[in-house]
Amino acid sequence: MKNETYFIKKANARKLNRYQEPRLLSFGAAAAAIVGAGCALMSYDVKTGAFGGIPLLIGGVFLAEALLTLLIWKGAEAQIIKTDDIGRPLRLTGILLFLTILNGNIFCAAAGLALMKKKKNLEYLVGCYMLLVEILVMIISALNVFKPWVCDTFFIGMGVLAAVIAVHALALPLVASHIHGNRADKVLVPVAVVLILSTVTGNLFSLLLGLIILKKCYTEDEYVTTGWIDVVKRLFRSQTAVLGAFVIVFLLTVSICANLTFDYGIAVDNEYSLILQAPSLAYPFGTDDYGRCVFTRVVFGARISLTVGIVSTAISIVLGIILGAIAGFYSGATDNIIMRVLDVFMAIPGLLLPIAIIAAFGTSIPNITLALGAGAIPGYSRTIRASVMTLNDAEFVEAAKACGAKDKVIIFKHILPNSMAPLIIRATLGIGAGVTAVSSLSYLGLGIAPQIPEWGNILKAGSSYLETNAYMAIFPGFAIVALVLAFNFLGDGLRDALDPKLK
Amino acid sequence: MKDKLDKLIARAFAKPLYRIAMILLGLPTFAAASLAFLACKKREDEEYRRDMEKARKEAEEDGTLKRIRSAAESCLVQKYRYFGKQTDTAEFKKELEKLIRQDEDTELKGRIQASYAADGKHGRHTLVQFLCECLDNKGLLALSVVTSFPMYVLLLIFSNPYARYIFERLIMMIFVAFGVVLVVFTILHFASSDPAVNVLGETATPDKIAAFNRQYGLDKPYIVQLFRNFKNLATFNLGNSYSGNEDVMAAILRKFPVTLEMTIYAFLIAAVISIPIGILTAVKPNTAFDYAFMFLALVGLSLPTFWFGMIMILNFSINSHILPASYVEGNKLSLLMPAIVSGTHLAASLARNTRSALLEVLGQDYIVTARAKGLSNARVILKHGLGNAMIPIVTVAGLQFGGSLGGSAIIEKVFNVKGIGSYIIDKQFLPDIPAILGGVVYVSIVISLVNLATDLIYVWLDPRIKSRLKSN
Repeated sequence: MKNETYFIKKANARKLNRYQEPRLLSFGAAAAAIVGAGCALMSYDVKTGAFGGIPLLIGGVFLAEALLTLLIWKGAEAQIIKTDDIGRPLRLTGILLFLTILNGNIFCAAAGLALMKKKKNLEYLVGCYMLLVEILVMIISALNVFKPWVCDTFFIGMGVLAAVIAVHALALPLVASHIHGNRADKVLVPVAVVLILSTVTGNLFSLLLGLIILKKCYTEDEYVTTGWIDVVKRLFRSQTAVLGAFVIVFLLTVSICANLTFDYGIAVDNEYSLILQAPSLAYPFGTDDYGRCVFTRVVFGARISLTVGIVSTAISIVLGIILGAIAGFYSGATDNIIMRVLDVFMAIPGLLLPIAIIAAFGTSIPNITLALGAGAIPGYSRTIRASVMTLNDAEFVEAAKACGAKDKVIIFKHILPNSMAPLIIRATLGIGAGVTAVSSLSYLGLGIAPQIPEWGNILKAGSSYLETNAYMAIFPGFAIVALVLAFNFLGDGLRDALDPKLK
Repeated sequence: MKDKLDKLIARAFAKPLYRIAMILLGLPTFAAASLAFLACKKREDEEYRRDMEKARKEAEEDGTLKRIRSAAESCLVQKYRYFGKQTDTAEFKKELEKLIRQDEDTELKGRIQASYAADGKHGRHTLVQFLCECLDNKGLLALSVVTSFPMYVLLLIFSNPYARYIFERLIMMIFVAFGVVLVVFTILHFASSDPAVNVLGETATPDKIAAFNRQYGLDKPYIVQLFRNFKNLATFNLGNSYSGNEDVMAAILRKFPVTLEMTIYAFLIAAVISIPIGILTAVKPNTAFDYAFMFLALVGLSLPTFWFGMIMILNFSINSHILPASYVEGNKLSLLMPAIVSGTHLAASLARNTRSALLEVLGQDYIVTARAKGLSNARVILKHGLGNAMIPIVTVAGLQFGGSLGGSAIIEKVFNVKGIGSYIIDKQFLPDIPAILGGVVYVSIVISLVNLATDLIYVWLDPRIKSRLKSN
């Protein structure tokens, strides 16, 4: 039945499993191929039935890079099976793959960075993504040079970015070589401080890297792993979760750096000589019905979507935790009253409660944030209540009660930290839902004021020009999908990483 | 038969809410029974006191009480010694007295009970016991059934676990509906915008505005308006809308079927696509097929509905003229695109949940057993696997169905469907309070009904839930 080839196959699979490279390369190839095929499909004009234009070009470049990655992947697999190692020449092709960042192909670039180095620890991977974020932000900002003018702070911004990239690029090999397992050399402390300070650009990867290094520098027992670093490690095993985190961090960094490198005026001031221009190098996503650059508007729109999504989720989590914990801990009448009131709020379907609140109190950003936050409270309190109720019978809670701990201490120190995992996952998905909700509200005309760059607003304007200038409605949508998808990817990855069964 | 009724009454009476409902619904019976009971109670209390004294005397004589006292004292002294407290304080005496009284009481009550049991006497009656004894009389029973018929209907509902469950849920739903009115009305009442100005226009004279406010009762205080809305809800007369002065109930009944039809189409499309995909991906996990479809599902979850709707219109209506871009009454084909857009989200979450639920079930031991028995693969997966994975799938399907009913507002706006969602949104801007209240309450009631139906499907699917419901 099971012949020789079967066992050879199994042995080969075991060999391949020891290396991360085949997984990373195949993911990069697949992702680049999907993006490339998508771009190529978009270039198809249904009316004329012809392919062509810049989208096809971009799609072609992506497809070619995917093919290159595929070849390298197959080569690496063959080498691993044959010699149980990846040779130096093949590792050097990682540099080639890294260069694909120039046309925004982060999938292949990430795989290339990982291929270059033989001994990869977690810190190296985090550092790679940190660098990729900054380089991509710089490329995006550099697109501004095609515009007739750039804002006054453009060169300062670009200079700062370049400096940060240089510092991080120098820090990366240091970090990779001075960390041994769970312990890091004390030389890295200043590096970690610099990394944490450079988080002002919005690059959360550098914050994460800095914190990991600091923790490892001051660890007491190198045989004991830190819980949260373990979670990060498991999270970085999932390609999609890292990609999600990457997109989120990238958009955050762009929206912070845009204050220096992008001209807010182009996003809000009317320019009647440039109405409804098709996409070009100067205006990559075209211009809208007031002559504003849609690309700049999309870049500045990330700010509002991210802020409202995160703040509204934070509000609903805090209130949801308080209500859910009280209801779950003091069951009985307290539980009944709180849950029945929340049932009423839960019975109002979908966006109707936020819409009613916004219609009543006006459409300002704080109101929208509060309204979306209020609408999401019942869901969170139900999650928390359920886990508090199960933990309420646990031995460690009983022990805490027997020791005479106060209710407040039991809830906040013993129960809540142990019921955080489902909440973190829910919150990650909740931010994504919040992002969609903000743009939906804007689309209905109940959101942010129309001149302010916000993704829903751009889409609303685009929907009126769907027949003639469809690009206005397409690109901001991709931005929303990318951000929401990123949160969903990250949420899925966190679900696996936080799963107690895997610990 | 009579025994059953007695037990039923006792059981229902033990639940506080049912007790109140029974007394209210069976007021004549309970009023008559209480009067008779009071007279009877006096006599019984007298008798009980006499028996109590007799028992105390007996216990004093055979030394039981003395023994109880000394035992209690030694017990308490031990306790105080353990905690290192003085035994000659007033606190000690007080606690000792309390303890002795307690123990004596238990002893004496036990003696009385034993003597009653020996004599075959009943002892003191409670109201329910008294009532049940009265109902032994056929004539009184008939009289009671005639005069307090609703109470017996309630008991009938109470006797059947399913009927009781549904009844309790429906009662709950009524409270939730009133709660929704309270919340939404309160929000809209304290809104910054004035409906009168919005309906009549900026140029309206103060007289006209005052007349408008009088017509719709907007000049009354908050509490009066709130109760008028409660009354409207209770009488199913939702009033007239501010703009156009049309009957809200009629408008809702005209618009709701469109939304419902769209949602049902969406649901059918989603179920037909997603459940097979969920099964296939669970059967072959971690393959390229699995990754591709789960990625697609995640993309489907992340698509903002309005944008997806716009892209669909762009591709299928503007560029290729296959489907109509907006809803036309009577044209079923024009509902297809909204249904697909609405179904995408549904299909994505249904496929993901089918996969995860089935994957979990397929890892169980009984699946291995089923395979070991030599059952065919299809039978193992469909009967043993899917049968047990159905509960989470149905849960998500029910929740999503309700969600897409409520969330249809945006899709309706994109495709210009004249459904309830776009009706509510259109009225938000005024705000047209009766129309919004009516719409929101209507949708929330329908969603509650869907949830109830979901819970009933559980009972049908899972015998464990059935038995739990019955034993409760």
